Amino acid sequence: MATATYPPPPPYYKLYKDYLQDPKSAPEPPPPIEGTYICFGGNYTTDDVLPSLEEQGVRQLYPKGPNIDFKKELRSLNRELQLHILELADILVERPSQYARRVEEISLIFKNLHHLLNSLRPHQARATLIHILELQIKRRKQAVEDIKRRREEAQKLLKESLETLEDTGAPLM
Amino acid sequence: MDAISQLQEQVNKIATIAFTTIGTLQRDAPPVRISPNYPESESAPPNPNPNPTPNPTDDAADFAMQPKLMSADLVKAAKQFDALVAALPLSEGGEEAQLKRIAELQAENSVVGRELEKQLEAAERELEEVRELFGQAADHCLNLKKPE
Repeated sequence: MATATYPPPPPYYKLYKDYLQDPKSAPEPPPPIEGTYICFGGNYTTDDVLPSLEEQGVRQLYPKGPNIDFKKELRSLNRELQLHILELADILVERPSQYARRVEEISLIFKNLHHLLNSLRPHQARATLIHILELQIKRRKQAVEDIKRRREEAQKLLKESLETLEDTGAPLM
Repeated sequence: MDAISQLQEQVNKIATIAFTTIGTLQRDAPPVRISPNYPESESAPPNPNPNPTPNPTDDAADFAMQPKLMSADLVKAAKQFDALVAALPLSEGGEEAQLKRIAELQAENSVVGRELEKQLEAAERELEEVRELFGQAADHCLNLKKPE
């Protein structure tokens, strides 16, 4: 694939010369890509899932398992973070040349924190979906009630007007 | 902003405060006196700047406040993070419970939707009838159609 500053448009346009007369003479659009693809030199995957920490080469500090107590883990990671910052300050006073290990540990904690927060997102998405469905059901029920009420009102009005007509306007009919 | 984004912002804020604190303190720290011989004497300061009032002890006092203020900031940010975590609307466990609820809601939604459609059709039918009757009555009133 040639890389130029202003690349020309792809030459496929010539194939669509007779599209207006015969739509089948031109090639079909390409089917959707599955799996991984390369875009501008980067690899992307079509499977939108949050890669686990081990896949990114980062040690996981909070316990794995089916159901994680997010609040507890977030709070304990926060405490760990504060302790590590304090340790870093201490070590900068005592042995300043050994900061690297502490800084690494602090960044590890931050990566864990962000990964935990990101793994809350699917839960949030489902909760939003539930909320939207509930709202929609409420609105639909409200609409059903409204329509019923209006129909009854209309029936009532028609009956009343019929009675009025019968009372007064019999010779008109 | 939603809860998780707020939490993420708070985490980034804690990180910013942490590295700003350490960076500022490292950069602005006054030199530490190691040997009692240097600098020579404090009574005759060798600096030639002609400002009499801002004496170095004032800066030192200001600078001693910095770690206190910055660490107070850090602890405040951490406490806010804890408060945000406590306020998370994390409903009870399970992806399965949520999925089940979504399926229930979808079923109820389709039922209510069909009911709504039925009511709507009936209302539209009645509207058509009323329109036609009204047309007939109007024609009759305008004597376009002889009453049979």
